[in-house]
Amino acid sequence: MELSGFPAYAVFFLTFVGIYGVLILGLNLQWGQTGQVNFGVAAFFMVGAYTMAIMTTAPTEDHLGGFGLPFVVGLIIAMVMSGALAFLIGLITLRLRADYLAIATIGIAEIVRQFLKNEDWLTNGVRGITAITKPFEGAGAGAEPLIYLCIVIAAVALVFFALERLRRAPFGRVLRALRENEDTARASGKSIVNFQLQSFVLGSAIMGLAGGLYAPFFSFISPEAFTNLFATFLPWVMLIAGGSGNNYGALLGAVVIWLVWSLTEWLINQVIPASMVTQAGALRLLLIGVLLQVILLFRPQGLIPERFRFKRPH
Amino acid sequence: MEYVQTLIYGIVLGSIIAVAGMALSLSYGILRFANFAHGDLLTAGAYFGFVFFTLLGWPMYVAFPLAMAVTACLTLGIDRVLFQRLRQSTPVILLISSFGVALIVRAGVQLAFGPDTQVYARGIEFPMQVGGLRIKPTHLYIVGGAIAIVIGLHLFLRRTKVGKAMRAMSDNADLARISGIDTERVIAWTWLIGGAVAGASGVFLAMDTQLHPVMGFRLLLAIFAAAIFGGIGKPYGAILGGLIIGIAEEFSTFVISPAYKPAVAFAIMVLVLIFRPQGLLSGVKT
Amino acid sequence: MPLLEATALVGGYGGADILHGVSLTVDAGEIVVIIGPNGAGKSTALKAVFGLVRVRQGHVRFDGNEIANQRPDRIVRLGLCYVPQEKNVFAGLSVHENLEMGAFIRTDDIGSELARVYEIFPALNERRGTRAGDLSGGQRQMVAIGRALMLKPKVLLLDEPTAGLSPRMIELIFDRIKEINRLGIGVLMVEQNAKFALSFAHRGYVLAMGQNRFEDTGPNLLANREVAEMFLGG
Repeated sequence: MELSGFPAYAVFFLTFVGIYGVLILGLNLQWGQTGQVNFGVAAFFMVGAYTMAIMTTAPTEDHLGGFGLPFVVGLIIAMVMSGALAFLIGLITLRLRADYLAIATIGIAEIVRQFLKNEDWLTNGVRGITAITKPFEGAGAGAEPLIYLCIVIAAVALVFFALERLRRAPFGRVLRALRENEDTARASGKSIVNFQLQSFVLGSAIMGLAGGLYAPFFSFISPEAFTNLFATFLPWVMLIAGGSGNNYGALLGAVVIWLVWSLTEWLINQVIPASMVTQAGALRLLLIGVLLQVILLFRPQGLIPERFRFKRPH
Repeated sequence: MEYVQTLIYGIVLGSIIAVAGMALSLSYGILRFANFAHGDLLTAGAYFGFVFFTLLGWPMYVAFPLAMAVTACLTLGIDRVLFQRLRQSTPVILLISSFGVALIVRAGVQLAFGPDTQVYARGIEFPMQVGGLRIKPTHLYIVGGAIAIVIGLHLFLRRTKVGKAMRAMSDNADLARISGIDTERVIAWTWLIGGAVAGASGVFLAMDTQLHPVMGFRLLLAIFAAAIFGGIGKPYGAILGGLIIGIAEEFSTFVISPAYKPAVAFAIMVLVLIFRPQGLLSGVKT
Repeated sequence: MPLLEATALVGGYGGADILHGVSLTVDAGEIVVIIGPNGAGKSTALKAVFGLVRVRQGHVRFDGNEIANQRPDRIVRLGLCYVPQEKNVFAGLSVHENLEMGAFIRTDDIGSELARVYEIFPALNERRGTRAGDLSGGQRQMVAIGRALMLKPKVLLLDEPTAGLSPRMIELIFDRIKEINRLGIGVLMVEQNAKFALSFAHRGYVLAMGQNRFEDTGPNLLANREVAEMFLGG
């Protein structure tokens, strides 16, 4: 059953959306639920993807490992690594103002990217890591993409239900209370910072999981694949478009914005000649940037607003 | 001698970061949000300079102030279209919006000028040999220009009514409003001044290196680090912060790969955040 | 018709109302004091007059203009200036610059107003160049009042101008307020040192629970046994 044409594209599209879905559920825990501004989503996504690649590929001279570990083990280590990075950053910045976290995360994304580019022994540098295998590879008859889609959907579902439970638990209520009144939260000491830290680390680990799912999907990763646009900015637009604070909104945003993003590619390719392909990329970037501003101005609550809200201070 | 040469490079880079950091810190003090588009305003200024100097062939003493003026207008325009409307919401929304503005500006530059690197003037610039040190004329222009901007900004903040009102608003925005200060007018001036200074730093950066659509964004971390170093919201602190970060980045190349220059700025910022989050110079008279 | 007239103000900070119908008047050249227990809404009433607290019902008229919920920069142009209790100076600016900021909206020469403020507060004249943040509490209060005088106000609103000051400084500030009043400027102030303030005020209001409780001339309120027992500490 070799898929081709539209069904093949649909499977590809849905798998990609699913991976973004996981990423954005992680971002929603940080921004939507806790009010943390993480502009370095790319960092945690990259760390997850590279960890996954190094852990699961066959041994090679090109980079550290590969350790040939099973798929699920690779995912778990990917989450742990991204979470550990988040722990370090959170420890330093979470007791400070929201802007400092934003600045620190944007910086860490830049540094992680440089690190992956320059440390050949670990990552094979700009040449990237190849031959990252999906589970059930060779299941025959070209069914792997479909099987992988099922795995990604299962991951989305798992993360979604876990986060929904968490949201309803006392933990989630504390986070929202902190979000609504950051000053009080900062003033009230260490246990509060612990809550913030847990949320930040968990959110980043989920981003690491998304990275872990991404690497086998493309079977090849290199530092160039994780631009700020793809790995930080688009997720933010998806979350804000879908509805910050609402996990349903987060998933809807992933679908809608990825659809819009894909459509702009198709549209722009119709009007701009292939010789100006880099300009076309810039134009799409411009459009998505404008889209974000339009949403912030006219529908800041997103497509599906958060149902539960404390009173917003003016 | 090698160290002195590196120090010179550090001072040149540091001057650019210092001036950009001052503008960022100033706008933070008055508008109370971290403008993530600031780096890309540098890029815009650099490319405006490219248009006037390289494409139109006007002399630098015309192109430079024009680039500053156009960047200032662009910055004010961004405020009127976006930030002004979002000011009623929480500062974090402005933060996110400015992050989006950064991408819009970058995309605009790339659309207009393409993704490749450019330079202001082709050909080799012959450095002067001063006691075994190589000093390029552009280095002198940059450092001299930076000093002129610092002095100009200082006089503006100390001597003019609007400048004093900017300091007043940064000090205590509520009291400024109660005193009848037209805060929207002060904000407009803040964007104009901040944009002009960002444009100037962008031209300096392009003179020092080359033009590229992400040139300003790459410097953003260092600019923020400089502003935080001096206590964000206190423009004078950013001068020292910028110089230290510029010099540290250049000296770091003796021990680590130049690719990790941003990491140096980051490390300094992290140290400041851990040990003195209010900034090294907080409490100093401004 | 009084120069400043607030009628049946109801409002608060967005949550529950704090004011439940407060009415006040100030005539030209009058000193009026608002006293009352903590939480009575004294400062809130003052802020409501100046547009800093949302007025849901009621009117504030000043010099023939309706000013309820107006922007402060419009209100100060009419000649009504407000001095908050806390953070009432620009700490990073010099004394002189603080006074200049008070006159921000003026485009004419402010020399005579500056001279007048320095005449009223000679201590400030000696410290023109000092950062306001480096001054003592009493001197900061002088800067704050001086700043408000720069617009040649008809009425000055003062929120607890003597809070946290030494007895000597309290006496000095009250003395200066009387001096300002002699120049023909009306004063409406919230004051904790109720007995002292009522001793020189033309009139006073006693607020409780966000409503008017008593109003009378200063001496009459001081002589009123009920007011004395309830609000003046016997």
